[in-house]
Amino acid sequence: MSNHYNMPHLPSSSSPLVTIKVDGKDVQVPGDTNLLEALQAVGIETPHICYHPYLPVSGNCRQCLVEVEGPRGMGLVISCYTPVKAGMVVATPASSQRVKSTRKAVSEFMLVNHPLDCPICDKAGECTLQKNYMEAGQNESRLRGEVGKHYHGNPDNEFVDSKGQTRGGKRVDLGPRVLLDEERCVQCDRCVRFMRHVAGDEQLQLAARSDHTYITTFPGEKLDHEYDLCVTDICPTGALTGKYFRFQQRVWMLSRTPSVSMDDSLGANIWIDHNEGHVWRLMPRCNPEVNRSWLSNTSRLAFEKFAENRLPASDIESVKLALQTQGKVALVAGGECTLEDIVALKMLKASLGDRAEIFVGSFRPVVAADGIAKSGDPVANRAGFKLLGLAADNVADLVKRASEFNTLMTINNDLWGDDAKQAKALEGIENRIAVAAFNTETAHKANVVFGVNHWSEVTGTMVNCNGILQKLSAAPTAPDAELIPTFQALSTFAGTPITEALEAFKIASKEVPVLSGLSYETIRSTGAKLDGVQA
Amino acid sequence: MAETVKVCTGNFGKGAQDIAVYRKLGGYANISSRLFDLSQFETIDIVQRSGLRGRGGAGFPTGMKWSFVPRGTGKPVYIVVNADEGEGGTFKDHRLMLEDPHRLIEGLIIAAWALGARSAYIYVRGEFLPSIETLNKALNEAYAEHLLGENIGGTAFSFDIFVHRGAGAYICGEETALINSLEGQKGQPRLKPPFPAVNGAWQLPTCVNNVETLMALPWIFEHSPEAYAAMGTPRSNGTKVFCVSGNVKNPGVYEAPLGIPLMEMLTSSEYAGGIEGTLKGVVPGGSSTPVLLPSECEKAILDYESLAALKTMLGSGAIIAFNQMCDVVQLLGTLGNFYTHESCGQCTPCREGTGFANRVMHALLRGEGHDGDLELLLSIADQYNGTTICPLAPALGMPITAFISKYRSEFEAYIAKNPNHASPRVNATIRPGAFW
Repeated sequence: MSNHYNMPHLPSSSSPLVTIKVDGKDVQVPGDTNLLEALQAVGIETPHICYHPYLPVSGNCRQCLVEVEGPRGMGLVISCYTPVKAGMVVATPASSQRVKSTRKAVSEFMLVNHPLDCPICDKAGECTLQKNYMEAGQNESRLRGEVGKHYHGNPDNEFVDSKGQTRGGKRVDLGPRVLLDEERCVQCDRCVRFMRHVAGDEQLQLAARSDHTYITTFPGEKLDHEYDLCVTDICPTGALTGKYFRFQQRVWMLSRTPSVSMDDSLGANIWIDHNEGHVWRLMPRCNPEVNRSWLSNTSRLAFEKFAENRLPASDIESVKLALQTQGKVALVAGGECTLEDIVALKMLKASLGDRAEIFVGSFRPVVAADGIAKSGDPVANRAGFKLLGLAADNVADLVKRASEFNTLMTINNDLWGDDAKQAKALEGIENRIAVAAFNTETAHKANVVFGVNHWSEVTGTMVNCNGILQKLSAAPTAPDAELIPTFQALSTFAGTPITEALEAFKIASKEVPVLSGLSYETIRSTGAKLDGVQA
Repeated sequence: MAETVKVCTGNFGKGAQDIAVYRKLGGYANISSRLFDLSQFETIDIVQRSGLRGRGGAGFPTGMKWSFVPRGTGKPVYIVVNADEGEGGTFKDHRLMLEDPHRLIEGLIIAAWALGARSAYIYVRGEFLPSIETLNKALNEAYAEHLLGENIGGTAFSFDIFVHRGAGAYICGEETALINSLEGQKGQPRLKPPFPAVNGAWQLPTCVNNVETLMALPWIFEHSPEAYAAMGTPRSNGTKVFCVSGNVKNPGVYEAPLGIPLMEMLTSSEYAGGIEGTLKGVVPGGSSTPVLLPSECEKAILDYESLAALKTMLGSGAIIAFNQMCDVVQLLGTLGNFYTHESCGQCTPCREGTGFANRVMHALLRGEGHDGDLELLLSIADQYNGTTICPLAPALGMPITAFISKYRSEFEAYIAKNPNHASPRVNATIRPGAFW
């Protein structure tokens, strides 16, 4: 049973280093954490199933056992719940036959009632149990027919298969997005702990006991939460699967691109998993400072629309021509613009001279942060706009001063789609240009449209609401190879085309002191904290 | 030989459920200025000097356990009485609560005074309805006489006792699982540390004691800790309530000083009165303790250290004797059913391993055993050791190891019932590892 005081203490850059003896060798490890994390810090992987750095320790899988010297000699302890102490003596399988055989034993127990049909399991290839078996198990099976697998779960879901064997529920509908396979569940209770301690809405429970234990919702209730798909990420086996991705792709066919979700200003770190030019899923990419291991359903399922309703590549000259219309030009940029796009936007304004004015923002309201992986601010790169010296929330001004302008250029900003009522005031501006990835309401209202790459298809940087500079990488999933990124489009309109994102970033780093010295190589995968920058 | 002193069972059969009778028999004499003049440290010191050890099974010194409870933290301290008696063969607490509920209440008041506790919970196993009713009636009487409640005996000391009915899970006899169950959560053992003494029920300091432990306190305070320590052996002080069952003439609850020979307990007319048939073996401390062969029984002394020397345990004092009519393979199969059913489902080795071992044993019983099954069982039992949060899986592992090693020929006879017992157990061409 996990309690809140069991939350693991994770090592950080400020952790004091202590010396412990691992397998007879003195090593320096972070001193304020558990043994599992400390061993990981020095490159010793410990197989584990129930332990998750962002969930309270439950200590039930028993896979991470190590030997630690105590008053009665070397004794087995679970490394996930053992705090590091200076001078402690630890034995891993590298030196202890007992640890090796015990881990093997636990691995055997784990598989007693777990199906061995990995080839048809959706989790195969990214399954913790499979990985642990290869690392710590590799047992010869000691099961046979009459003592073999014994599937039990919720009695309501049991059925008898064609071989006459009683089986547990294979497609238990937990809610609108998640399915449960009771046979594959190893009762690690990660999902239960996630819903209780992270989502804060206890919708899942372990019911029954012994090997009848099964995951279930409360009677008559469904698993339905903005973060419910996170349970499919943390499930170490194929027990919990998302309906949207289930049996769509074998995971080893997918390529992963590390990127950042431009859904809101927290900029949740994601993996874009794609195959043959198609995005199949977005997965949270662990970043302790940003979204930890979590991703909201909204951000996660956004990919389903990435390839739909897209604008085709179009003629640059028609945009240039439209911009030559007499009178003032309002350049209205949306939150999905990267720092590079903003650099190009400023170049465009400079080329148009005094008659152009930049507006930034969205008609969508800012809502409260949920404390998990959403900041509630729809303008993702608001801090980036401010960093480059632009007012980051002045679309309301534009509405008031709409009559001053003759030309309206929207850049990745769906004003009409977000709030058609407020946008109506802008319909007085006759000449309307839309630079956008999607054929949105705003594009419908425009007389010139220009299709560009979506943020998942571009390389660039954004500054999140906490002032962390994060890098987006381009997934090769553009529906039309002719499409160009926004920064390239804007700089071309300005007459000085930039084709590489890095060029635009270099311009920005010359302009802004906190960016100087940074390059795409020096921004770590978890981002770079910019001193004194806030949204 | 002087008549055996009855510390806990002295009031059996005297109608002590009634508070008037209990008082007439000398009860509640401690709840007076005698107790309330003692400081907390003096009270604990008396318990430490008596050498009283926890009677739930582990035999941990009670005074030392009490001294671990932090003082002066400003946090309330809880006392929890473990009356979730579930170990196979144990029935002493049920009987103690039925016969002498006021002695438990008196013991609790002493413990509460020692620990500065404001309230106590008696967690009674759900099936023990008669003892729950008896306890509730006794509590009402004690409240009516102002032995419980606000300002007991005109002092500033206030104390309440609540009876909590469990739902009948064996694992809730493990103290942290009991606390979880008491809190309304699933009865599963907690990770330790923190130990309940520091962080127990509702995250507050909690002292969990067995019924029998607390019921020894009134005698100790009425007489003297030295008188209690004088009984028993030098390291196992005092008396112990044994529950004898199985093939004996008079099964029942008997109190005897620790250090009494096992055979005396089984054959003396004062106790179980003799074996029926020929003795084949004795399980000395509840179903999870390793069995003793008749030759070992002759040497066995009932105290913590002597039984440990025989690689078994005194446990809860549940002595199960069986004769030549008993089929030990079936006996082990029954134990397997019990522990498989009662595993809380938390740790993998116990959740999956108890069922695995049980299925092997039942294949054996059905006449489907194979050569090597005994090695398989011994190996599974060995794999339980040190891998789980609580000792439920080892509680099955110990009898498996002991029964197979001591009665191996009987297990082999079961294997021989399978005409194909020599055939290989698994098809060598299908190996799960072959997939990868």
